[in-house]
Amino acid sequence: MASYQLKVNGKQHTVEVDPDTPLLWVLRDNLKLYGTKYGCGIAQCGVCTVHVDGLPIRSCCVPIEKLENKEIVTIEGLSEDGSHPVQVAWKKIDVPQCGYCQSGQIMTAAALLQRKPNPSDEEISRAMKGNLCRCGTYTRIREAIHEASKHQQS
Amino acid sequence: MAGGGLMMSITLPGSTHLLDNTSPGSAALNAFLSIAPDGKITFLLTKHEMGQGSGTGLPMILADELGADWNKLSIIRSDYDRKFNWRTMGVTGGSSTISGMWDVLRKAGATAREMLKQAAAKRWEVSTAILKAENNFIVNTENGEKLEFGQLAEAAAQLPVPESVTLKKPEEFVYIGKPVKNLLTEDMAIGKANYGINTDVPGMVYASIEKCPVYKGKLKNFDATEALKVTGVIDVFPMPSFEPVSPDNHVQEGVVVVATSTWAAFKARKALKIEWDPGKFATANIESLKKEMSAVLNGTMDPGYRRGDTDKLKKEEGYEVFEAEYDNPYQAHALMEPINATVHFKGDTCEVWVGTQSGERVTKEVAKVTGLPEDKITTHVLNSGGAFGRRYYCDSSMEAAYISMQIKKPVKVTWSREDEVAHDYFHPYQKSIHRAVISPEKKVVGWETSLCRTEVYASGLNIADIPYDFPNVKTEWKQLESIIHPGAWRSVSEHSSSLGKESFMDELTRKLGKDPVEFRLELLQEEIRKEGNTDDAERVYNYRKLLRERHVAVLNTIKEKGLWNNSILPSGSGKGIAIENFGGTVCAHIAQVSLADNDFGFKVDKVSSVVHCGTLINPHFGKGQIEGSIIWALSALKYGGVEVEKGVVKQRNFHNNRLLKMDEIPEIEIYFIESDEPPSGLGEPGTPPLAPAVLNALFDATGKRIRKIPVTKEDLQANSI
Repeated sequence: MASYQLKVNGKQHTVEVDPDTPLLWVLRDNLKLYGTKYGCGIAQCGVCTVHVDGLPIRSCCVPIEKLENKEIVTIEGLSEDGSHPVQVAWKKIDVPQCGYCQSGQIMTAAALLQRKPNPSDEEISRAMKGNLCRCGTYTRIREAIHEASKHQQS
Repeated sequence: MAGGGLMMSITLPGSTHLLDNTSPGSAALNAFLSIAPDGKITFLLTKHEMGQGSGTGLPMILADELGADWNKLSIIRSDYDRKFNWRTMGVTGGSSTISGMWDVLRKAGATAREMLKQAAAKRWEVSTAILKAENNFIVNTENGEKLEFGQLAEAAAQLPVPESVTLKKPEEFVYIGKPVKNLLTEDMAIGKANYGINTDVPGMVYASIEKCPVYKGKLKNFDATEALKVTGVIDVFPMPSFEPVSPDNHVQEGVVVVATSTWAAFKARKALKIEWDPGKFATANIESLKKEMSAVLNGTMDPGYRRGDTDKLKKEEGYEVFEAEYDNPYQAHALMEPINATVHFKGDTCEVWVGTQSGERVTKEVAKVTGLPEDKITTHVLNSGGAFGRRYYCDSSMEAAYISMQIKKPVKVTWSREDEVAHDYFHPYQKSIHRAVISPEKKVVGWETSLCRTEVYASGLNIADIPYDFPNVKTEWKQLESIIHPGAWRSVSEHSSSLGKESFMDELTRKLGKDPVEFRLELLQEEIRKEGNTDDAERVYNYRKLLRERHVAVLNTIKEKGLWNNSILPSGSGKGIAIENFGGTVCAHIAQVSLADNDFGFKVDKVSSVVHCGTLINPHFGKGQIEGSIIWALSALKYGGVEVEKGVVKQRNFHNNRLLKMDEIPEIEIYFIESDEPPSGLGEPGTPPLAPAVLNALFDATGKRIRKIPVTKEDLQANSI
């Protein structure tokens, strides 16, 4: 057990955990930030995606000891009020069914648009293929990313 | 409710006849809405929300009849409550939520509307005949005066409940048939949507269970020395199996780790040293099961349905027997939200928090595990991250109840993904033989179905499942004991049976040199005849009539829209069609495939679907369910099947229990047939016809007849036909 300083959604937190504890479980069990989901534990499904220094990472596979002094953003911190262009597009297209994977989808999509403001279908597929959706909302996810891209540019 | 004030809570004592009292001890009572003085309407959701949209589709039905303003409506989820019955609460499954609640909620909404009208009529001293409900107001149509529902609710609640009410005509619907947005999307987009796995109870600890890897195996002994050294571990003890209330609820034996975090519990499990007694399935494997099934299919089986005498026909001179055998393996659910439950056993009462398709079954099982009476169990039913039949079973709640009793604390049990896959309640294995007897005039005069499967339920056995008209029919079946736990998986037995039935229809079509759409229409030409005079015969007759009408409507729509004979495909491409009924909804898929240089040797380019589900409540949701079903079934076709060696499931996580990803999704177009008939379900009907449509398309493209899933590159390269 050791003490770690974390910056999550702009706030400083101190947590006492083992160094190998994945960020996912610190977010969920210690900080009670339940928007980030557990799906597989081996970076195969993408439901735990958060941003670390602006890049999308699978929080289930990153130990806490590697995250000190990094900027961590979860779905709760993507915007204050759900106004991030990706969130707005998700609501407009009404993407989710069960919704469990959608935090991860939104975080991956937001990082994609940060890098590529106007992605092609192929670029969307490439960026999003690590995010599984068992309900099969993929067509709407793609539509919402295009929508967010339009919204972001206008 | 927060905000208090005067509220109307309407109960409909006169409506007991609406409800099937199939659940012992249940009483019919409708208490689905309350209206606050400010006009805010609260809808009580008694059905599970698992992504199928019940939490929006059901209040749409009620709000429409009520004349409510959608923006003033919010929903609350009901805990399990014995005052509701099996139909209005007991189970959420079988794609029956909308169809089962349609009458109930329309009558509940219309009754409340009439009471509000009566309250307004009294206040204005006018006749109710000149009043209408619109957008949360009762409006006097003669002078335009209006009163908000909130201003009338208290007075309305004092009035006697009308015995009968007039329901809206379809053309008067305001919300039904419109793409009303999912009430949960706002929360989902900001990460605030709640699920069972997010349950957080003060003082809660975390548990995870190392389960015996072989189905129904036993724990022999274990050494927890190393596990107890892991930081945060509180306790380690055996998880017994239980004698469940319902035999389909099975708790696998294992070793429980209780810790201060989920991660600590997961980590400590890896440090356990355990000796198992694998039991009767110690040598079980899929190859042996398949051999046993084929032997069963060629032996004496249990009779299903008989009409005429196919056996006699088969011996007649000039009659040809045409047959084929199909294989449809086990499949895992792979729900995005892993299985979990949180329980707080408090000695004389017990609270459960779980995403479940049946709060009633959970309550009964937890009562038995804890030894408490059912009325001392409170089951909070939370939304779930996909259920698809898996959350009909109550094992995680039983486990959490037992653990909470041992440690005298609230506990959240979380299954790892590996647990969720390897200890699933799997879609049953089915092998089938289909046979046609063809007359010298090239007519199909006999139809035989033989099914061997690892679960008791089976479709395609009863004449109620067979819309086509064959003068002679024989069905037979046999159940073999499953080597892994069987369960309900999106579209249940229809998925198992449709692969054989609709592939065989295609084989038959080609043998007879016919067009697959026209051939099916030919077999649907005859009016359905009633067989017998019992109530059941009447039910079967009406159901088959509905199926026949809907099959014909779907096939004719395919013709009208040119979806089948639309174009000549390039070489290396092919198309296939399949059509299936699930619970009254008839869905046809036309799959277009092409050979490709990938891991499979092919890709599915496009799926066109035509669906008849009666009234379509919400087209956005309806389309989503069919798209989702296509993707679900295509995952099973490409990546599905379960390997078992020495009783152990080899699939562990998403790397070897793969699901379709975004870059593999075909183009999908969906047509719903317009209808004013009562709604039938949409959660499952898109699943069964997908596999046969793709297999038929692969034959069209390659000339290779593949009679099983998953489809591999080797299947396409094999020389068999």
